Amino acid sequence: MKKTKSSKGKKLFIKKDVNGAMDPDTNPEFVETEQETGVVEETKKVKQKSKKSNEQPTAGESEEFLSGKPVPREDDNKAGETGPEMQRKTDTKVLENRGPWQETFADENTILIQRTVRSGQSIRFDGNVVVMGDVNPGSEIVASGNIVVMGALRGVVHAGALGDERATVAAFKLQPTQLRIANHITRAPDGDYLTPEYPEIARIKEGVVVIEVYQMGQDRQTKIG
Amino acid sequence: MGEVIVITSGKGGVGKTTTTANIGTGLAALGYKVVLVDTDIGLRNLDVVLGLENRIVYDIVDVTHGNCRLKQALIKDKRFEGLHLLPAAQTKDKTAVTPDQIRELCAQLKKEFDYVVIDCPAGIEQGFKNAIAGAEKAIVVTTPEVSAVRDADRIIGLLEAAELHSPKLIVNRLRPLMVKRGDMMSIDDIIDILAIDLLGVVPEDEMIVITTNKGEPAVLDNNSRAGQAYRNMARRITGEDVPLMDLEAETGFMNKLKKLIGFK
Repeated sequence: MKKTKSSKGKKLFIKKDVNGAMDPDTNPEFVETEQETGVVEETKKVKQKSKKSNEQPTAGESEEFLSGKPVPREDDNKAGETGPEMQRKTDTKVLENRGPWQETFADENTILIQRTVRSGQSIRFDGNVVVMGDVNPGSEIVASGNIVVMGALRGVVHAGALGDERATVAAFKLQPTQLRIANHITRAPDGDYLTPEYPEIARIKEGVVVIEVYQMGQDRQTKIG
Repeated sequence: MGEVIVITSGKGGVGKTTTTANIGTGLAALGYKVVLVDTDIGLRNLDVVLGLENRIVYDIVDVTHGNCRLKQALIKDKRFEGLHLLPAAQTKDKTAVTPDQIRELCAQLKKEFDYVVIDCPAGIEQGFKNAIAGAEKAIVVTTPEVSAVRDADRIIGLLEAAELHSPKLIVNRLRPLMVKRGDMMSIDDIIDILAIDLLGVVPEDEMIVITTNKGEPAVLDNNSRAGQAYRNMARRITGEDVPLMDLEAETGFMNKLKKLIGFK
């Protein structure tokens, strides 16, 4: 029987300066994603590419491309319309349709990773990262935006890696080896600690990384943005 | 000026990392300033065995590439003030560093620490060459199995070719009862083949598995036989003359009783 906390319960990670403060000069760069696995592709780059070769996926297809499945091109028979233009149109649509609460990150990139991120794998992305799978110990996700893990998060994550303190990390099981938001570095306390079975979200509140129960809806969504 | 010791084996799974963690901790417990260097880039484990995984921000590759200062990458142990870890990178591979860079790194570390203990990866390729580059002394770990002894022999040859003469031997996971029955190679059999000095013998001990999983080296456990063996080895490294422990000693109740009333 697992111990559970009250829904209002807060779990404070020890905010600790592990090895001296993070040097802003040594912040990870976001120009490329990991070459070795070859799975993650920077969508921004893909977006700007013209439709020269058929192998090149458009931004809209990047999700499927990430999982490595061959994807039929929908716009193949639409003459005169290039991939990038198509994408721009959809983007505008999204922007028009968004509610009064204005999702801050709506116009930024998000990638979807549909696999387990395993030890030794590293995902670096300028935007938000959504993982449909687990993030195992020894792996690393670095994003300039938010990180959402629909599974167990046990590796190292760094949200808002370019300095955005509004960035959040949410996971079904939030048990990271190390959790970083902007220039805050936190880890779980030594010894035993609670491992709740419900989704949690980490964010910076009043200069401290706070972990709370993830609650859907309400005005909370704007805060998450 | 400190001493740079590489712990290697050739074969995987014989206990290089466990030995590194325990001897390093043992030396730190004796009051020395020790740094453990994990050169197993891409398959790092030493941080996990020491229970320091969640403190890693920078690693050996960051240091050699100049992304951070050496001091920033060194992780202080949670138990001993004098014990430090330089972790390996997990998302890179062995080619991320060169033997020259490691040599330079060891030269720097040696100035600050009494002992620089290097955990070598399995194999005889690039990772091995990196690990031994800066070393002055070598410790070869083997288990009483023909395959492990064969690989240890190969490693000793390579160490000699790299001007690392007279390495010391650690025989790990020995089961005295099996040796008695003649089902396992004895220490004498192994030394007969390898012809190098013995640093110590570690008996098979369940505590190793338990302590490794907990991230607390067995050397700190006073009830562990393997821990005792590691403590002895740490003292031998410092130059002390410590006799080999009696591996035959039974731990049964009757024997303890006999010991207590002076029959043994």
